[in-house]
Amino acid sequence: MNIAIFRWKAIVPLLLFLALLVGAWLLFADRLGRLALERGGTAALGAKVEVRSFHFSLGGGSVTLRGLVAASPFDSMQNLLEADELTADLDLLPLLEKKVAIDRLAANGLRFGTARTTSGFVPTSGPGASAQIMANVKSWAAQPALQVPILQLATGKLSVDSLDPRRLQTVQAAESLAARADSSRRAWSAAFDSLDAKTTADSAVAFAQRLRGARPTDLALLRDARRMLDRVKQTRDRLTALERGVKAGGTTLDQGLTSLQAARRRDYDFAKSLIRLPPIDATSIAWVLFGPEAVRKFQRALYYTELGRTYMPPGLLPRAHDGPRRARRPGTTVEFPRAHRPPGFLLRDAELSFFLGDDSAGPRRYAGRLQGLTSAPALYGRPTTLEVRAPTVTADGMFDHVHATSRDVMGATVRGIALPAIALPGLPLRVTPGRGDVSLGFALYGDSLRGRWTVTAPAATWQRDSGAAGGLAADVLWRVVSEIDNLDLTAELGGTLSHPELHVRSNLDQAVSDRLRSMIGAEVDAAESRLRVEVDRFADQQVAPLKAQVAQLTAEANARLQQGRQALDAAQQQVEQQLRRLTGGIRLP
Amino acid sequence: MVILKLLQSIVKALHSEGTPGQVAAGMALGSILGLTPLLSLHNLVVAALILMLNVSVPGASLGWALAIPLGFALDPMFDALGRQLLLGTPALVPLWTALANLPVVPLSNFNNTVLLGSLVSALVLFAPIYFLCRWGVRRYRETIGERVRNSALYRAISASKLYGIYRLFRPET
Repeated sequence: MNIAIFRWKAIVPLLLFLALLVGAWLLFADRLGRLALERGGTAALGAKVEVRSFHFSLGGGSVTLRGLVAASPFDSMQNLLEADELTADLDLLPLLEKKVAIDRLAANGLRFGTARTTSGFVPTSGPGASAQIMANVKSWAAQPALQVPILQLATGKLSVDSLDPRRLQTVQAAESLAARADSSRRAWSAAFDSLDAKTTADSAVAFAQRLRGARPTDLALLRDARRMLDRVKQTRDRLTALERGVKAGGTTLDQGLTSLQAARRRDYDFAKSLIRLPPIDATSIAWVLFGPEAVRKFQRALYYTELGRTYMPPGLLPRAHDGPRRARRPGTTVEFPRAHRPPGFLLRDAELSFFLGDDSAGPRRYAGRLQGLTSAPALYGRPTTLEVRAPTVTADGMFDHVHATSRDVMGATVRGIALPAIALPGLPLRVTPGRGDVSLGFALYGDSLRGRWTVTAPAATWQRDSGAAGGLAADVLWRVVSEIDNLDLTAELGGTLSHPELHVRSNLDQAVSDRLRSMIGAEVDAAESRLRVEVDRFADQQVAPLKAQVAQLTAEANARLQQGRQALDAAQQQVEQQLRRLTGGIRLP
Repeated sequence: MVILKLLQSIVKALHSEGTPGQVAAGMALGSILGLTPLLSLHNLVVAALILMLNVSVPGASLGWALAIPLGFALDPMFDALGRQLLLGTPALVPLWTALANLPVVPLSNFNNTVLLGSLVSALVLFAPIYFLCRWGVRRYRETIGERVRNSALYRAISASKLYGIYRLFRPET
């Protein structure tokens, strides 16, 4: 029995099925495209992306989006951008390879930082790329080098570290001098003992007694008398030399005592340094006041840069990412870029038209251009560039992921626009810069960071929340800043991703520092006086006994010198007197 | 309801006019639909084959119905297999790269680990499923098939609307 392989009568239902598919495409393609764009955009950005309408024209090779809203990943009630309309001219052939190549995109009515009525955050479901980047960026911003001591200025309290006497130079120098005094005492005592002037003097006196009964013809005795005289003189010379040594030693000890005064002055300075007043340091005022805002700016720039590096990676190696959400396990989808083939996504040229400065003068329209945005920069071969040129706005960006080491640079300067208010951390104060200039630059070369944020506002105003207290520091700050009508702020970021360095300075630094110093100056003076008394107490415990010890030592040495000299002089005199008597004043050979 | 429809599928497949080979071929093709993620380009081809080839559509339905839970259960294994093929076998990277840059092929999502793993598994299992099912249908018909055909349950199922639809696609013997 022959069985037919094909079921020809199924052709009609099959064609009907295909017609149904085409019909479903016509009916639902736009809706599916919108859902895919919203889902993909949300996953990529890490915040809600919504599209009011999406239309794909296969015949015209174009896609039109209206009402695009991308929420900020950092502020739930703020949008990153809104776009009235985006029209993209698609290259259709790459669609067969599941690739999107946009020759030209016109984006009209872009607005940045607009308010939302509902939260734009999305719950993190699994280890997505954007969630991972957000976690990394938050961890980066939480590094100690970027942490601002908010409460130190808010409390305004001064603290004094305990004074450790072992760290006082006076005490150390006194202990050293005491050791030297002991050493001198031992040396001098040994010298006196070895000199033994009294024994020599006693011998000479005894010899003079012998000479009393001697005859002038006893030449041997006369020669011995000469020798005795020489011995007495030599002993006196050695005594004189010892006297010089004692004098020099005494002088050195006195100098040591004098140097204790200088050590004590240094100890006063050291004790002063124990008074902790970090916010009083002028250079730290801006860091405390504007550091968190600066970190937030650079943190956002880093997030978007890292996002770009994730979705626009260098090289042509296979790239894995999460598969599509479905009832079945999503798995992992692996992209396989190939040299000389189109990348998975390429936006060749985008003309941007956007609004800035939503103030009393109304928003103003600007234009810019974005070129070479691609998922595979190595295939495209050129970096992505962004350029905005207008009389009051300049913005440039270059994201070079063509080579192994990525280089991302972006910078923008806006002049004469209404700047958003900046809240001071931990304080019920905020500054509204008003109309002014702001610039933000950020560069990431490999893992080397460079960033600069400046705000120049000649007509800044300050507001204080009436409900909150804020403490002494808030009062002081309010008194200072309410008299300052301009803001000149610069924050600079450097170092590497793992070791960032942030420096912030502003025109408020010195003013606030001076005011704070005068406010708590009395407290500082009292603390300094207490510490001086403490230093004196520790120092005097060592210095007073040392002074007595040195005085006693030099007095004893001088007394022994005096006694020795007197004994020797008397003995010499007696011997010479007997010699003159025997010789009748004639000098014998 | 689901169980009832499954019973319908089983009964109709086993008692269809198709030969055991036609039923088995239908079940093997249907198992591809069930083992792999449904909304995929290759399943459009499989569905077209089920309609166009002279195989048992109830058999395909039965194969699909039985393979769906199996597909969900084996997803971790498919994921691991696909990952090994796509990422763990450098020798295959040139093949995947070539396929990923051909027209239409990337639309099949073959570069997804679960899809590739399940499709490869389904294709490998196609022949064993076919031969096993053909043997099973033959044994069924030789043993208890006639008694079931005369049962009240079979008559009730045969009278249902689904049976009418089935008759449109019954295999031509």
